[in-house]
Amino acid sequence: MEGKEEDVNVGANKFPERQPIGTAAQTESKDYKEPPPAPFFEPGELKSWSFYRAGIAEFIATFLFLYVTVLTVMGVKRAPNMCASVGIQGIAWAFGGMIFALVYCTAGISGGHINPAVTFGLFLARKLSLTRALFYIVMQCLGAICGAGVVKGFQPGLYQTNGGGANVVAHGYTKGSGLGAEIVGTFVLVYTVFSATDAKRSARDSHVPILAPLPIGFAVFLVHLATIPITGTGINPARSLGAAIIYNKDHAWDDHWIFWVGPFIGAALAALYHQIVIRAIPFKSKT
Amino acid sequence: MTKDELTEEESLSGKDYLDPPPVKTFEVRELKKWSFYRAVIAEFIATLLFLYVTVLTVIGFKSQTDINAGGGACASVGLLGISWAFGGMIFILVYCTAGISGGHINPAVTFGLFLASKVSLVRAVSYMVAQCLGATCGVGLVKVFQSTYYNRYGGGANMLSDGYNVGVGVGAEIIGTFVLVYTVFSATDPKRNARDSHIPVLAPLPIGFSVFMVHLATIPITGTGINPARSFGAAVIYNNQKAWDDQWIFWVGPFVGAAIAAFYHQFVLRAGAMKAYGSVRSQLHELHA
Repeated sequence: MEGKEEDVNVGANKFPERQPIGTAAQTESKDYKEPPPAPFFEPGELKSWSFYRAGIAEFIATFLFLYVTVLTVMGVKRAPNMCASVGIQGIAWAFGGMIFALVYCTAGISGGHINPAVTFGLFLARKLSLTRALFYIVMQCLGAICGAGVVKGFQPGLYQTNGGGANVVAHGYTKGSGLGAEIVGTFVLVYTVFSATDAKRSARDSHVPILAPLPIGFAVFLVHLATIPITGTGINPARSLGAAIIYNKDHAWDDHWIFWVGPFIGAALAALYHQIVIRAIPFKSKT
Repeated sequence: MTKDELTEEESLSGKDYLDPPPVKTFEVRELKKWSFYRAVIAEFIATLLFLYVTVLTVIGFKSQTDINAGGGACASVGLLGISWAFGGMIFILVYCTAGISGGHINPAVTFGLFLASKVSLVRAVSYMVAQCLGATCGVGLVKVFQSTYYNRYGGGANMLSDGYNVGVGVGAEIIGTFVLVYTVFSATDPKRNARDSHIPVLAPLPIGFSVFMVHLATIPITGTGINPARSFGAAVIYNNQKAWDDQWIFWVGPFVGAAIAAFYHQFVLRAGAMKAYGSVRSQLHELHA
């Protein structure tokens, strides 16, 4: 009896990467290698065009992201009534859909972050150097400012009258609620990013990464569905900063700290959860 | 010897996939592995996030469309948005946890897979407990963020709507859960994986879509449970008499639906799997004799 079980197990392991996902089967063989931690400072990359190309890609992606999303928000705000516009769900689709498209376009160039919180989370997980992380964040913020600026340029009066797409904590909610919503929302997003870019998952998918941007875009869409009533949904400090700078009103600036502290805490928690609980990387033996 | 055995098995089946053997019901060796506890933690976190996003969307919908509070007819994401929240969230969470815990996020799914001998009893019970705890914590988070709105707008709890009798509610839950669990079985079928060239990248998407579509259909009837942990978590935090009175519908219905799906998939669609397994076992027996 024991022998039979063993033989069947041997047979089942003929296809180590083909266990049905529902069974959570563990396989001993690995055809992936965990990439080594990125150094904090890597002067060599400053001399490489791919470094600057990546930064430019982040700038353009964030610019397009803010342009489409803030313009969609303005369209909803200026409509005679909500039913005459794409509505709140349309806004959520604009955010999630653009992230899907832009991550797809820039994944191979810069990693497709488009979000300082994602960059921060990946930095904490040692996926990129400090110089690259800072460069990306600066380029994302600049891109966001330009994107919101173009929207204002199209319709300056309407832009200022209708809130400029800026993130503020809505009436009926405390700042603590807003902060909490930003933390959990960013956790969902960054955790999905970690799962989508995981080396082990790539191996499971036979290294065919065709679907990675879709769950990331969906995560953004879903968090917007949930938290637009609370904060207009930041979960992206560059997005919040771009709108705040171009809109430039006191109440937008009063709440602005929430949209940096919340996302960065959420990203840190996601990095911790994925690296320590899910992948248990610190506990793996070091060869 | 090993090489010969493999060759034998290859010639035996003439397929490029092999159905994994049934998991022992009382497997306990897995309790010593970190991967077991990691899977349980993953189910807890996934269900927490699932309930947080979905119930937050439900409360947001009700508060934004409350005419008495200055809301408007189209001032929220709508029932369509709520359906997307449920289906989309299942999609990304199954995607994230498939390789870790199997991505159940639902006691009914766990129950169905247990009946099909794909998870052990210990694992099944542990998953269900983690899912119920995660659901309770997720809804708890929503309440903490907006307790006034939460209490005023029904707490996201599942209750039978006016105009529908108990039988209709149970029936809706049974069929709805059948759709979901049947999709899970199809998405995780080794034979289907072979057809998809063993690249399982699309499995979470039909599962998420099945949840989305069932919500489109049955939100008016029960608010759509099809996930006992989801119904349980909301009932605990909302703690309302009617939510508890109707709670049994959201356990009996889903579990019956899951059982029917397990039976249908294992004994009707994959009857060959049982035959092939028996055949392989008898062949191996002969080899040893």
